[in-house]
Amino acid sequence: MAHRTVVVASASGLHARPAKLFVQAAMRLGVPVKIRLGEKSVPARSMLGVLSLGAVRGTEVTLEADGPGAEEALDTLTALLSRDLDADEAPDA
Amino acid sequence: MRDGLLDPRAVLLHESAPDRDAAIRRCGRALVEVGAVAEPYIEAMLERERTISTYVGEGVAIPHGTNASKEDIKHDAICVVRFPGGVDWDGELVTLCVGIAARGDGHVPLLAAVAEILLDPDRARTLREATEVSRVLEELT
Repeated sequence: MAHRTVVVASASGLHARPAKLFVQAAMRLGVPVKIRLGEKSVPARSMLGVLSLGAVRGTEVTLEADGPGAEEALDTLTALLSRDLDADEAPDA
Repeated sequence: MRDGLLDPRAVLLHESAPDRDAAIRRCGRALVEVGAVAEPYIEAMLERERTISTYVGEGVAIPHGTNASKEDIKHDAICVVRFPGGVDWDGELVTLCVGIAARGDGHVPLLAAVAEILLDPDRARTLREATEVSRVLEELT
């Protein structure tokens, strides 16, 4: 199982716009990725799952995937979470 | 979910709306009517929706305001509004709206709590098909 640990960088945490962008990116990947916060692990493609984590800015989450393409998929999503996805839309974070 | 968030008067189970914006206005109105938010919050909910859809899957949308509209929130609250006939939500069919108002950073744990409930397909179905206010309160409090 390949994995990456990443700190959520978006100002509003992992919900609203950042969550949507994250879930959309995960759906475009050919590999199922799971996102874990503590004991709770949910599919990165599930909006409800991602929202249920309640991850705020600064929360450390772990991304996990298996099989061919897993490393690239994790790199893509790690890069996304490491960016402040609210930055270009500060008033509506 | 915390106590006192869902006023029974904010549970509307037999609504209909011609479109997404009308459905959001109905949700906002419910929050205004229980004294949770001031009138301008409704416009802020529409603005947020235009920025990004609050559709979360399972036939459910969770409309809420923008960060700038937090001053219009008097106390944290949710409303539950069912549209048995369905509402076209940017191509998705929504039959249940959970409107949300939370001050400060309170919306993150509140959204998480709502999402956690909806993740359970049985509970999500119970809410989508509820015809009794008491059933909704049971499920959400």
